[in-house]
Amino acid sequence: MSRAAVILIRIAILAVFLGAWEVLPRAGIVNPMLLPPFSTVLLTLGEILGRADFREAMAVTTAEVLIAFVIAVPLGGAIGVLAAENEYFGAIFKPMLFYVFSIPKSIFLPMFILVFGIGFQQKVAYATFSTIFIVIMSASAAVESVKSDYVLVAQSYGATRAQILRRIYIPSMMPILLETLRISMIFNFTGVMIAEMYASRTGVGHMIANWGENFMLPQLFAGVIVLAVAAMAFNELVRTLEARCSTWRS
Amino acid sequence: MTRPSPRTVRRLIGLMLLVAWEATPRLGLLPELFLPPLSKTLAVLWSDRSLYGAALLVTLYEVAVAMLIACGVGILAGAIVGGVATLRNLLLPVFSSLYAVPIVILYPIFTAWFGIGSESKIAFAGVYGFFPVMLSTAAGIRTIDEQYLLAARSMGATLPQLIARVIIPASIPTVLAGLRLGGALTIIGVVVSEMLTSASGIGYLVTMNRTILDSPRVFAAIIVVLVMSVAFDILVRTIERRTLVWQTAGRRTSSADAAVPARLATA
Repeated sequence: MSRAAVILIRIAILAVFLGAWEVLPRAGIVNPMLLPPFSTVLLTLGEILGRADFREAMAVTTAEVLIAFVIAVPLGGAIGVLAAENEYFGAIFKPMLFYVFSIPKSIFLPMFILVFGIGFQQKVAYATFSTIFIVIMSASAAVESVKSDYVLVAQSYGATRAQILRRIYIPSMMPILLETLRISMIFNFTGVMIAEMYASRTGVGHMIANWGENFMLPQLFAGVIVLAVAAMAFNELVRTLEARCSTWRS
Repeated sequence: MTRPSPRTVRRLIGLMLLVAWEATPRLGLLPELFLPPLSKTLAVLWSDRSLYGAALLVTLYEVAVAMLIACGVGILAGAIVGGVATLRNLLLPVFSSLYAVPIVILYPIFTAWFGIGSESKIAFAGVYGFFPVMLSTAAGIRTIDEQYLLAARSMGATLPQLIARVIIPASIPTVLAGLRLGGALTIIGVVVSEMLTSASGIGYLVTMNRTILDSPRVFAAIIVVLVMSVAFDILVRTIERRTLVWQTAGRRTSSADAAVPARLATA
């Protein structure tokens, strides 16, 4: 199948999906109270994007996501590299990290609320906490993916530490590092959303939770579309970079 | 001086955490509101055991149904999408884009549709577990060694034989990885949704006691969730060890193993 055909079929699937979303509630097959037609949602979307309170909520959420990301990624990356490079440290902490990784982080939300309140700091702290473990694990996987043969060859040709770092470690680790960025953003965004939906006075997560509770479904669907598009846009951006960098590694 | 073994150090750290949990609030280093002593939390858990037991039953019921949906549909869809080349090229990139969307934002829609009872939790946790299980199965199904298929075909295996003797045994590790992932995720999904909007279950106990600032009861519920996720982990590990003999059938690469935990989406 050619690339054009693939894209055409994907557009067709999307069109069928959106068409059903429009027609089913209009025809009364699905209750329009429960599923407002797509066009109604789009109109609402235009309306809420123009509202000052929604834009303010977007700004708050974006700031929370970015700050948590900027804290969690370098910190988790440093711990992950340490765990991969120092065998003893790794042997102690890796099994513990795997365990912490598999427990639901959200049950600790009440602790964050008790300590930080329900403001900006609490969202950043919780999102950092829920992201850092995946960063640690991916970063140590990235270091371990560097082939020891390459390092050995470079060393025998007399490469310096800086050269080995720049010429071997960074190119080999690049695809996994980008993948780490992508996946940690998913965790980070989810963390901020849960914290905002759980207890908050502001943010988009708080707004959609409120719309849901008040049965304002056109607004709710519009909010979900905004968040979903933002999440997918970042994801695709990093994936494009990933595809470019993977040509470095053969 | 030799360094103590990592396992010993880990046990010491675990013990120290438990002691710290008891000692810091008792010594007044942290207010009891932030961290009630371990003994007090356990005492509360024991005295309210019928309440916590009933809530745990609700949660376990929701987890079981959601797990059935997430793993059943997820593994099936993953096998189909991963196994058929046309579908794979067409749909896999779309599904991995959709995976970037924080699924928790759909929960208000589910509560509006299904109410705040068990149905909305099951729907949410089912969807929450579905995507990663499907993606990991679709990736895993492709790790079946082509050589086995080729060898079986050249010895004249029929399609039913091929499925029964080669494809099923070779995909057991993939299915198990899917179960493990899906199970962990549905537990998370159910607890998260119970915490957000609910009237029963362990997650509800966490939220309800947090709003009335009853810290020992919040922590008692946290302990129950921790025990539940450890128990599930031990269960899956045991099953994995029992079926270890099967796993030589699949081509196990270290990168495929590493990819599985990386897909675990926790919340």
